[in-house]
Amino acid sequence: MSIPARVPVCVPCLMVLGAVLAAVVASFAYLELPLGELLAPGAWGGMAAFLAGFFPPDHEAAFLGKVGWAALETLAISVIGTLLAVAGGAVLALAAAGRAGLIARIATRFVLNGLRSVPELVWATLMVLAAGLGPFAGVLALALHTAGVLGRLFAEALENAPPAPESSLREAGAGPVAAFLYGTLPLVSAQWIAYGLYRWEMNIRMAAILGFVGAGGLGSMLYYELSLFHEAQACTVIIAMLLLSALVDGISAWIRADRPPRRL
Amino acid sequence: MSGVAVRLQGVSAVHANGFAALKGIDLSVRRGERVAVIGPSGAGKTTLLRVLGLSLAPASGHCEVLGQQPWQVGARALRRLRSGIGHLHQAPPIPPRQRVVHAVLAGRLGQWSPWRGLASLLLPVDTAGAARELARLELEDRLFERCDRLSGGQLQRVALARVLYQRPELLLADEPVSAMDPALAELTVSLLADEARARDIALVASLHAVDLALRHFDRVVGVRDGGLAFDLPVAEVGSVELDALYAATSGRQREAARQIATARATPSAWTAQPLACR
Repeated sequence: MSIPARVPVCVPCLMVLGAVLAAVVASFAYLELPLGELLAPGAWGGMAAFLAGFFPPDHEAAFLGKVGWAALETLAISVIGTLLAVAGGAVLALAAAGRAGLIARIATRFVLNGLRSVPELVWATLMVLAAGLGPFAGVLALALHTAGVLGRLFAEALENAPPAPESSLREAGAGPVAAFLYGTLPLVSAQWIAYGLYRWEMNIRMAAILGFVGAGGLGSMLYYELSLFHEAQACTVIIAMLLLSALVDGISAWIRADRPPRRL
Repeated sequence: MSGVAVRLQGVSAVHANGFAALKGIDLSVRRGERVAVIGPSGAGKTTLLRVLGLSLAPASGHCEVLGQQPWQVGARALRRLRSGIGHLHQAPPIPPRQRVVHAVLAGRLGQWSPWRGLASLLLPVDTAGAARELARLELEDRLFERCDRLSGGQLQRVALARVLYQRPELLLADEPVSAMDPALAELTVSLLADEARARDIALVASLHAVDLALRHFDRVVGVRDGGLAFDLPVAEVGSVELDALYAATSGRQREAARQIATARATPSAWTAQPLACR
């Protein structure tokens, strides 16, 4: 084999590169992004003044109490929404994994697709219309979207689990429920818990946002304070959101950590 | 109940792919009888045990297990019948993250109500019973261990403890010792044989180690090409039968069969050996 005289030019690569550059330039032109203003002399000072308006955060006791209750409400929305989604997802996953026949499997997969292709915020808007303003709409929105996601993930875990443990129990006379609980559930439970906790971490952030469309919690408060340009109060709410996410991440990591077995 | 645990007459079995794995088998096993099934790989030993274990319905022939015709009774009676059949598998069918105590207690799920099974997951209902079976296998200190923290040999013993805890009327074992070291194989087969003798139940086990078959069983059934090559009391099994059984298979298997036939005369070196895997 002879060494090529020069490196061959990848014509398709150059065409793709050119197309991407053209698309970027066209996008900036179409959206009229004023990038130049970011670098203008007065811009940085204006931004600093805007951010300075948020500090110091409002730390009056009465307001902190209100924020605390709202944070608790957001936490409750995320916990109940996720728990409902885990329960619903588990039931739907059993059918989606083909345990209730082929027709149920196809129908459930269709339902799961529908549930998760509608984003939480859209569900929240719909639920505020259906169930009224407040945390209940937030819970329903999270539960519906997350059930669609978890149902799909749970079903995949079920389908990948080896069948021998459950079938051997059936052959020893165990009923379908008992055989599932002793044969297959231990194979998938760790994965199910990990998926559930991961979605809880996402849902605590989402629960904080859902208030913007009227579904209660910290989000409703943030929306209210920002609408009135109460920057110091908004800052307190944002800090509460950050603390809450960090708390949930910590709890989730602690539960997921492989602790040594507990003696009964 | 009658003295017959299992009776097959002219039983044929066909796999889903159309392969005729059993062709007209006649086999009868009395309660308290210990029958070893031997034969080359692919001869139909596993299929025979699956028919006896009621996990495969025969294509034709008469099949009677524990006094009932399993494929003519209803679903509820079939479940009750299955709860009296203990099946030891070559690969322990135990979820890795399950605790040993649950893995053992699962043996009686067929005899328990669904509620008892559910309650036992929250709080084991018969810890003492599970510990008793594990103690026979020198594993009682692992009662609350997770199964994926056990060695392979310990997991095999947990599977054995589950079958013993089930207290079946018919004990089946499909090549239970193929993946075991000699000491554990000896322990497993002798425990199965002791259990069958003590509780006067039938034991049917397929084995590749012919010497174990000859030492612990009453009868040896040779399976070849989906049919019975011979069905003889242990005392009448000789090198002629074993040679014919493994004829036209690999020379290695034939050699193994011959060695084993001669080993029968001298007591095995394994019998006195203590349990090595602890």
